[in-house]
Amino acid sequence: MDLALGPEQHAFREEVRAFLAASLSPALRRGAALTSGVFAEPDIAREWQAILEAKGWLVYHWPDHAGGPGWTPVQRWIFEKECAEAGAPVLPGMGLKLVGPVLYTYGTPAQKDHYLPRLRSAEHVWAQGFSEPGSGSDLASLRTRAVRDGDHYVVSGHKIWTTQAQYANWLFALVRTDPHVKPQQGISFLLIDMALPGVMVKPILSASGDHELNEVFLDEVRVPVSDRVGDEGQGWSIAKFLLENERGGSSFAPAILADLARLRTSTGPLTGELADRALRLQLEAEALEMTELRTLIEIEHGAAPDPRSLTTKLLASEIRQGVEALAVDAFGLAGLQLPVERPFYGDDMPAPVGSAQAQVAAARYLNARAWSIFGGTSEIQLTLIAKAALGL
Amino acid sequence: MNLALSDEQAMVRDMVRRFLADRYDAATMAKGPMSPDDWRALGELGLFALLAPEQAGGLGGGAVEVMIVSEEMGRALAITPLTEAVLLCGRAIAGDPVARRWGDRLMQGEALLAFAPGGAMTDGRLCGSGGIVRDGMDADAFVVETEAGALLLIDGQDSGVRRMPVRLVDGSMAAHVRFDAVHAVPLTIPGSAWAEAQALAGLSIVAELVGAMATLLDLTVDYVRQRHQFGKPIASFQVVQHRCARMYTWLEQSRSLLLKSALAEEEERVRAVTAARAYIGDAALKLAEEAVQLHGGMGVTDELAVGRGLRRVLLLSRLHGGGTAARAALAA
Repeated sequence: MDLALGPEQHAFREEVRAFLAASLSPALRRGAALTSGVFAEPDIAREWQAILEAKGWLVYHWPDHAGGPGWTPVQRWIFEKECAEAGAPVLPGMGLKLVGPVLYTYGTPAQKDHYLPRLRSAEHVWAQGFSEPGSGSDLASLRTRAVRDGDHYVVSGHKIWTTQAQYANWLFALVRTDPHVKPQQGISFLLIDMALPGVMVKPILSASGDHELNEVFLDEVRVPVSDRVGDEGQGWSIAKFLLENERGGSSFAPAILADLARLRTSTGPLTGELADRALRLQLEAEALEMTELRTLIEIEHGAAPDPRSLTTKLLASEIRQGVEALAVDAFGLAGLQLPVERPFYGDDMPAPVGSAQAQVAAARYLNARAWSIFGGTSEIQLTLIAKAALGL
Repeated sequence: MNLALSDEQAMVRDMVRRFLADRYDAATMAKGPMSPDDWRALGELGLFALLAPEQAGGLGGGAVEVMIVSEEMGRALAITPLTEAVLLCGRAIAGDPVARRWGDRLMQGEALLAFAPGGAMTDGRLCGSGGIVRDGMDADAFVVETEAGALLLIDGQDSGVRRMPVRLVDGSMAAHVRFDAVHAVPLTIPGSAWAEAQALAGLSIVAELVGAMATLLDLTVDYVRQRHQFGKPIASFQVVQHRCARMYTWLEQSRSLLLKSALAEEEERVRAVTAARAYIGDAALKLAEEAVQLHGGMGVTDELAVGRGLRRVLLLSRLHGGGTAARAALAA
């Protein structure tokens, strides 16, 4: 047993570091540090996506047969860790992390050839149409209908919590193609061009004042049958595959540890309870990093994923929320600023009191409350863990 | 021993509750600061005079009255300058004949005073930073507690008062204030009276938090009853019931410490209020976070009172260093 990087891994890390030092501009770093939401905004995301794509590292987590660089799990982790420490923007995951793997795993050759290059070039920007007003934790109860009409499905329904749908031009959605079977068996997975007649996006303002979320209304949208991924009725299996990627596809701890380190730099030394909280969070995050690494190393050596991988999204949510709450407290009254202007790195932002990090702290705290809700609530995660890890 | 409100106290509570219920419901709570018209209407109803000391022409309402009024404000998630303007500034100027003209207008709801801790007297003028001052943009005058501990009154019209707007997390507008050779009137107030004013201000904050906790718990219990998943109300899941029950224990413990500090003898008050702040600062935020969690996605939106309530609770629970500073003070 050892945790040391081998010579090749070491060289790889140096290569990643050199690339980040050369490619990650101060403007991108600043934009990433002052992003209040979960994902980078399009101005920053597009620029960083193009830089990564030019280098061949955009789809670093895809297998080589799908166009990825063919990295091992540990190489992917090294890349994520270095990106986090360098303060790189967090690219929206709906395309790269969610629908991309679905397409190269379940898509037809024609679908792969058409959609994957456009996803990488950002010609297509994807949004996720899973949740509905009445179907959150109980996703299988979803009611968006898709009725076959010749070579098309006629799709009607109401999706909600659609992150960055205002910037997207394609929606992947779970729809009900068969209302007469068990709920899970009647679901299919469709790719929907948001320019089609009948698609309407309505913003949802977050308590933070950010606009990240939307409702998407589908009114008799005619979707070609050729834009169904997998078989009719296979949507639930595909959704489970996708959700596993959403919850455990990449490591959470590196970004948390990097943000905690940056927080301590911007607040100066913490004392008393604040120092104690920072230390506890640091220890939790270090433990999570090792938990994530254990699973990666085992997979690299050929083992199947251990059920402990189900714990990481839950734990990351709690630690992330703790870090953002600590930031608010560490900045004092300045941590309670909440301007209405966006983005925080933009020219319209009023001069901050204290620092720009203090100015964004309350918005980040409020948005971080969503961590224990999106991608499966913490309550759902605990139920999954009890079942899968403990057999309860 | 008796925990019942007197008839007069019950009347005050009912009056404030009715006034707020006519203006705020779950759809409008905590959407923004109370309108100046409504604030003035509360002044005309005599609410601020009720809380002002007798020497300032008020009715001399004490800790129990402060608790009653502020808890109702919190229950409606009303965003008002009550604590700083009426309790802290109002009492700071109460014994001062020169400042009296502000006191009368304050009680009528016609003038707004804000509290600025900071700055120093140099060559007979106030200079330096007043920090982030709540309601500082709209303030007509400021009570300043200098770094040396002196209490001063300054006119907001003074050309040396420089203000930059700072929007706070509850949507209220504070000012980042700088003093540039401002004319200042020293206020004469006995140290014990100032300590009492600060204690009442602290009591007001925890009372607002307890009111807000009660509302957030009510909203959550209503929500989990009507929200259905897996074919039944989520209130039927034991995990949800237990979470709500835990919130209820935090609320009742908080209310106990609030009552204890409102009913404390005067010499015990500072410690009791500090203890209440130490516990309630954390309990209120935990409860608000749980309320958001149990509302699921709806909880993190600006559309429901629960998300906006979290913002108000975040601000109130963190003021003056929040529970962390209060615990440090108790331990010292």
